[in-house]
Amino acid sequence: MMVWAVIFGMGALVFLNRYVFLEPRLPVRLSSNVRQFLGFAVPGMLTAICGPIVFMPDRQLNLQWDNPYLISSLVAVALVIYTRNTLLSMLLSMAFFFLLRWWL
Amino acid sequence: MLAKSDIFFSVKSVMSNSHLPRSAFLRGAVAILPLSLATAPWGLLAGSMAIEANLTPLQGQALSGIVFAGAAQLVAIGMLKGGAGIFSILLTTLLLTSQHLLYGMSLRSVISPLPGRWRVGLGFLLTDELFALTSQYDKQQFNRWYALGVGLTFYIAWNLFTLAGIVLGSSIPGLEHMGLDFSIAATFIALITPVVRNVPTVACVAVSLFCSVLFSYWQLGSALVLAGLAGMTTGFLCNKFYVRQTA
Repeated sequence: MMVWAVIFGMGALVFLNRYVFLEPRLPVRLSSNVRQFLGFAVPGMLTAICGPIVFMPDRQLNLQWDNPYLISSLVAVALVIYTRNTLLSMLLSMAFFFLLRWWL
Repeated sequence: MLAKSDIFFSVKSVMSNSHLPRSAFLRGAVAILPLSLATAPWGLLAGSMAIEANLTPLQGQALSGIVFAGAAQLVAIGMLKGGAGIFSILLTTLLLTSQHLLYGMSLRSVISPLPGRWRVGLGFLLTDELFALTSQYDKQQFNRWYALGVGLTFYIAWNLFTLAGIVLGSSIPGLEHMGLDFSIAATFIALITPVVRNVPTVACVAVSLFCSVLFSYWQLGSALVLAGLAGMTTGFLCNKFYVRQTA
């Protein structure tokens, strides 16, 4: 029962976060400064989501060369720059990651 | 971003009928396909972890179907398994998913004038990925059917991969130790890297990355949002300064 309450509660909260600024009756006008600020939302937020995954596997800071997440991420960046192909870069870097983990 | 240049290419090639709902919807579905596939390991993880934490298969699926937020789902499952209370789970969810407030704010000018069912529908489907693919359009270029194609395809893919995770999770123990979470990093890296083309964006990414690791190390509940805001602020200030310098 508690699990269902959690699921529906989470669903409501996440929807609220997503919807609230899409509601036209909400009296907000966004200034040009706010718009410029929001222009950095994609690189800013997506980077923040990646940070702990890459540098802190198992919630421990790991800056060593034996951290497959870190090395594979560098490979992913290089692949995107070199191939300019999103899907290919994702697939190759994931393949690299799993090979590396298997090898380490 | 290749996905972006793909979109521009197809915009040009189907300019004559790109405003038609069906072709715009398909264009969106095709644009999100690579990201949908790349989310497979992450979805498998969400499904198998739910089973691992003693949720019923229906509950595991409902998490993806109703909540539809990968990171929050995985954290909530972990907390349920650890015996956390409902309020601490909900508070964590609120903090973990508050980047959606920024996405909503950013898309406000294009989505808020739409009819209610479109607002609610696109609002429900508003993920990191949907935002990444639609944020560059202004009022004239934004196509609701394109956005729906992106969002709905991603929703279906996410739920199918969760289902696969639920089925596999019941048979393969230890799926959560396989490092499936790298897929989310690989996806986002592929989305971010091509956007990093000027000094303000480099500063934004650098600060965001540093702060996200530092704040997580300090175990702040809202580490990711705070780090994202720090990065965005840096980019914004840098942009002001930079533009004034060069203008």
